[in-house]
Amino acid sequence: MLNQIINLLKASPADAWEVTETVRDGWEFYFIRHALDQNRVVHVEHYQVKVFCRSEDGKYLGSAAGEIPPTADEAEVERLLRQMILAAGLVRNPVYTLNAPEPREKKPAAAPIHPGDISAAFFSALQQVPETETEDLNSVEVFVSSLQKHFVNSEGIDVLSEYPSSMVEAVVNARKDGHEIELYRMYTSGTCDAEQLKRDLSEVLSFGHARLQAVPTPALQKADVLFSTDAAREIYGWYIDRMNAAYKHMKYSDWEIGRPVAENAEGDLLTLTAVPFLPNSSRNFSFDAEGAPIRETVQIEDNIPRNFLGSRQYSQYLGLKQSFQPSNLKVSGGSGSAESLRHGDYLEPVEFSDFQVNPLTGDIAGEIRLAFWHHGDEVTPVTGGSVSGNMKQFARTIRFSRETRQYDWLEIPSVTRLKDVTITGAE
Amino acid sequence: MKAPFSPYLAEIAPGLKKLVSLLRRRYDYVSVLSTDSKGFSVSIGQRSKSVRNETMTTERGTVVRVYLGGLYSEASFNVFDPAHPEETCRRLINRLERQMKVLEAAGIKPYETGLLPDEPETIFQEMETERLPEEEDMSALIDRLSALSDRGMAEGENLLDCTARAQSTHVCKLFLTEHRDLRQSYVYSEGAVALVGALEGRTEMAYEGVSGRKGPEIFDRMEEDVLPGVLQSLQELLHAESVEPGEYDVITSPDVTGLIAHEAFGHGVEMDMFVKHRALGAEYLGKRVGSDLVTMHEGALCADSVTGYAFDDEGTPAGDVTEIDRGILKTGICDALSALRLGIAPTGNGKRENFEHKVYTRMTNTLFDSGSDTLDSMIASIRHGYLLKGMHSGMEDPKHWGIQCIVEKGYEIRDGRLTGKVVAPVVLTGYVPDLLGSISMVSTDRCVFGNGGCGKGHKEWVKVADGGPYLKAKARLG
Repeated sequence: MLNQIINLLKASPADAWEVTETVRDGWEFYFIRHALDQNRVVHVEHYQVKVFCRSEDGKYLGSAAGEIPPTADEAEVERLLRQMILAAGLVRNPVYTLNAPEPREKKPAAAPIHPGDISAAFFSALQQVPETETEDLNSVEVFVSSLQKHFVNSEGIDVLSEYPSSMVEAVVNARKDGHEIELYRMYTSGTCDAEQLKRDLSEVLSFGHARLQAVPTPALQKADVLFSTDAAREIYGWYIDRMNAAYKHMKYSDWEIGRPVAENAEGDLLTLTAVPFLPNSSRNFSFDAEGAPIRETVQIEDNIPRNFLGSRQYSQYLGLKQSFQPSNLKVSGGSGSAESLRHGDYLEPVEFSDFQVNPLTGDIAGEIRLAFWHHGDEVTPVTGGSVSGNMKQFARTIRFSRETRQYDWLEIPSVTRLKDVTITGAE
Repeated sequence: MKAPFSPYLAEIAPGLKKLVSLLRRRYDYVSVLSTDSKGFSVSIGQRSKSVRNETMTTERGTVVRVYLGGLYSEASFNVFDPAHPEETCRRLINRLERQMKVLEAAGIKPYETGLLPDEPETIFQEMETERLPEEEDMSALIDRLSALSDRGMAEGENLLDCTARAQSTHVCKLFLTEHRDLRQSYVYSEGAVALVGALEGRTEMAYEGVSGRKGPEIFDRMEEDVLPGVLQSLQELLHAESVEPGEYDVITSPDVTGLIAHEAFGHGVEMDMFVKHRALGAEYLGKRVGSDLVTMHEGALCADSVTGYAFDDEGTPAGDVTEIDRGILKTGICDALSALRLGIAPTGNGKRENFEHKVYTRMTNTLFDSGSDTLDSMIASIRHGYLLKGMHSGMEDPKHWGIQCIVEKGYEIRDGRLTGKVVAPVVLTGYVPDLLGSISMVSTDRCVFGNGGCGKGHKEWVKVADGGPYLKAKARLG
């Protein structure tokens, strides 16, 4: 199918093209308690095509993209490509060029792992989670995929990658005196990191016990908030988005190379680096979705933007020489230890309904399902109410720990402290 | 015109029927869902333009469900030769057998479930549309969206960009068992205008959309019907203040009403959660969960929206369920397997993200019923509070009935009048029965909104619609 599409594209009036073939073998398991609710196998092929047409004066490059079903016969493939080429001719974006072949960093060699082996490792890890009579797993979903991705474009790039991708969704219950609560976690990774999974789920089981004791969150108005769980990814996601070439081109990001992200910063200075590989990441690719090689690149250094990164189109609009769409990212640790950030009064939410940072406005918001209110020498589990505020204010005083923690494709400080966050209580 | 059923699905149907009969030799129940949905997405702004021949729900593929020894298993694939179904049959059995060996080695036992019924039934429904996405004049559409974007930029202040979006999908699905042959074809479309503006270091986005079980004709009037409201909204957001945290009298506009319906008693009564004991709603059937003014409906038959289908992804005909009747929780919504486990009838709410995904109980149209009050009388009744408008996102909490809604903005009301002050954004949180129990006025009008998607937890995205009238309630804002 791939060759058929490429041959038709070569013979077409398209000025340039990209084709991505993705073959996925997926194994899925759904559990209620420890019984198997359902098992699923997925074997699919996808062919994503993007065609490009230049305007007659050469100033514009239009594109149209879409999927060609693997069951399409030659007449249907021709018709779909014709429609895309027609549509591409109607789109007028300032002209840019596609990626051409370049040397790339070799992915560390690893033997292909069958989804069956990864699944068996997850089963074993889940069976070792230390459940008790009062804290246990309500339900678990396990998704394991083996993927092959083959990218070819009209400029001569022809690259292939194979990688595993896994996801576990776990719901934890805790109960006492007829009252039962639940906590939710979703983990993504390359293969199964059994020790990490057991450690994380054990921590969630302990949170379940705390939630049973929780009282309504007091109306604190303003308080420092300490993030020590996966919600912190959203905070660093704001920095990542603002260093994206598309955001910069669209003027959604007003950050400038060489100008601090926060004036008169009093907190830790942030360093953000795009890296090709992280241990057991589900995004360990040597090249991005457009065939550009992924290189270790510092994006922000001690609060100073150094390199915007992004897709070929927006990178060229910004005049970036060596750009790509980052797959894995690291935020370096701060000046103090995690323990040193735990001082004075602070609220430590460990479970939100859905903590969000609006990438455009910087607004943060999340309903508190479980937090620990550290007040003097007392630590009180609380629930209800919300946190809110804006990253533009927090960026000046943000503090983060020297120690780091990896969440799949993102390594960040293990503890992050924001100052003077608005707290709506539930009392 | 009728949206024509997929010729591709019609052509492979005999081969799929043969596949069902081959698999029936081994399994006690076999169903096949095959899909062929086409569409387009166009986005035209000043700084970027794109065209795709796909949407969130375009797909072509097949999922087979089989039952053996108390366990349901599924296989998804998108390569199928209708002339040789025995090859597909052999491959599917091999793949499922390999999984069973790994499960057996781990000592995992099935969650015993009964056999789904397979009563004879035939449905062939091609729903009405004025135009089809696959026949749309893309040149004219791009010109229309470009003109909208240009006008927005000319008329707006402090604008970074004005982007017009249009997407339309022609959904075709075929569901087969040994005794059932169900076929449906319908078109739904969504359009939106998104404005991004900046003022004194502050960046904001305003967004409004149109949607419905209609063809691309829905985009013809976006410039007149949508653009003026979004332009005004952006200026309000750029000049908005922060809300003082606390509990207030609020009026929810129909889009926020819909978000509350969705998060409160949409997710809260998805009955696959009842099977796992993950929903407090199971303990409240027949009990009061809202004021007398609260009546809520859910079902694909409730509105001609983006999710107004004839049958769901398990072959259950579309329904219309009264979830809450004058404040009393009556029932929830249910997919076929959960219904079997709970000993009740399915409601037509078994949906998949696409053929590669599992079925869960999912919402379709989730709507508050109208009442007898006017918006003016509701505003006049409030001493200090807010009229909430525009939805960003929400999150369910069926186990504890907490609710989180991130609302675009609130218009201040003092002494029965709108003051002109706007606060944004607004985080509405609370305990669902408290929020619904505080509803004291309900307006006569009602709107349905179908832009965007809904996840289960943080995945499994499907199209849903929700809405209702203006509601007056008490809520905690932050």
